[in-house]
Amino acid sequence: MSQNTVARRPSLSHRFGLFDVIPHLIAFFKRWDLLWHMTVRHLRGQYKQSVLGYAWAFVNPLSQMLILSFVFSTILRFSSEGEPYPVFLFVGLVPWIFFSGAVQSATDSVVGASSLVTKVYFPREILPTAAVLTKLVDLAFGLLILAGIMVYYGTPPELTTAWVPLIFAIHFIFALGLALPLAALNLFFHDVRFLVGVALNLWFYLTPVLYPADTIPDKYSFIFDINPNAIFIHAYRRVIIHGDDPGLERILAGLAISLVVFFVGYYAFKKLEPGFADRI
Amino acid sequence: MQTVFDDQIEIELRHVSKHFQLTEGRTLREFLPALFRGKGFSEPFYALRDVSFDIRRGETVGIIGRNGSGKSTTLKLIAGVTAPSTGDVYVAGRVSPLIELGAGFHPDLTGRENVHLNASILGMGSREIDRRFDDIVSFAELWDFIDTPVKRYSSGMYIRLAFAVAVHANPEILLVDEVLSVGDAFYQEKCVEKMHEFQRQGVTIVVVSHSLELVESFCERVIWMDHGRAVADGPAKAVVQRYNDTVSHHQQALV
Repeated sequence: MSQNTVARRPSLSHRFGLFDVIPHLIAFFKRWDLLWHMTVRHLRGQYKQSVLGYAWAFVNPLSQMLILSFVFSTILRFSSEGEPYPVFLFVGLVPWIFFSGAVQSATDSVVGASSLVTKVYFPREILPTAAVLTKLVDLAFGLLILAGIMVYYGTPPELTTAWVPLIFAIHFIFALGLALPLAALNLFFHDVRFLVGVALNLWFYLTPVLYPADTIPDKYSFIFDINPNAIFIHAYRRVIIHGDDPGLERILAGLAISLVVFFVGYYAFKKLEPGFADRI
Repeated sequence: MQTVFDDQIEIELRHVSKHFQLTEGRTLREFLPALFRGKGFSEPFYALRDVSFDIRRGETVGIIGRNGSGKSTTLKLIAGVTAPSTGDVYVAGRVSPLIELGAGFHPDLTGRENVHLNASILGMGSREIDRRFDDIVSFAELWDFIDTPVKRYSSGMYIRLAFAVAVHANPEILLVDEVLSVGDAFYQEKCVEKMHEFQRQGVTIVVVSHSLELVESFCERVIWMDHGRAVADGPAKAVVQRYNDTVSHHQQALV
């Protein structure tokens, strides 16, 4: 109705239909250079005032790995699928740290950019996306530590590790899809960030990170079946440690869940977007 | 809805109302009981009531009115950061908001990095930014400090850099909210000169200001807002005159 004579930008509108997702996604991807600048801004801000700087990105996963390895292999003696426990643990822990860090940081991303959000329009999903992308740096540091551990224990990754980028791409979509609506809801209820902290904590124990997936009793295996993080982490272990394929059926299920979560999450985010500036 | 548009119209507000809920209601503890009682948090506050106007390409329009009359809300609607509760806002063209300059600056980043970030937020592509970078820094007169983090900048330097970025973003619509009243006299003169240049280039400019003098000298048309309504819209001189009359009348009534 409004595109007759001249391309007009209709105002932000609360009438955001399901089919508006595609044009908005295109508009979002067209702003990739802004996404890049925002990611750098986020990254620079993160460790800028600290003496050790990016070394902190090492300290966090390394300290977690050391204490968890000690507790669960020396004190509690968890089984680890026949691998040295630190290797087993870290293959699952590195992606978990990425996931939980990304969701937590993205939840605060829009609230944290309030001065921008109330002044100038740009696709708001750039903020949580940049927050998630920032965590790729931490992930890279985690992978370096993992490589170091694998060398130390003399357990090189299997050739099937080539599957990892695909699994991770799906994992990334899942993390972003979850982060988007949380970032939006956090503007409306500040409880959300605390809720996310609690939920991630519980989720960590319900995901086979510390323990192998096959130790879950059959009665509770449904928790593992519907938990995308369990699917992904199990798949990482299969391809990196065991030289297996990622379990195609499970990966397809993970992909389906991730896409649904992403589209629903993106839709919810855009639906709430017009109210952002009024909520800060 | 209209089907035929005048392509000379750059900004269009149609029966726009905007209301807010005044109470906070941001935690679930406040929200859930309100939900169960089946009512909102409070009476809505109307920032705008049924406002309609068109702004044509190349026009310079001032918006005046008392605090809380809806001026800034109108600018935010045009900037696209907030949505109308009812009614429609249509904007054709690239908007560069000079609203509280430097909102996008990150204190830890250098001037150079902030120029790239802020220009990108305003919709400039990377190549465009590279091409205009020298002009931006020259305009801001900050060559000596461009690699210093902006948290070390004085407030004047900060504003100069932000203004320089905004005016080089090649805007088709410039939204100006009180920024002309900050900074020293030299800076102000430079800003006003730049604004006149934009006017000559046919850029559409919307100015919100409490300085009637500035509005009257700079704008050809003025919209006077009061309690969320556009009460007058016409030639700058006539509307400012009416506004002044009402204000002095109001003051006499108070005595």
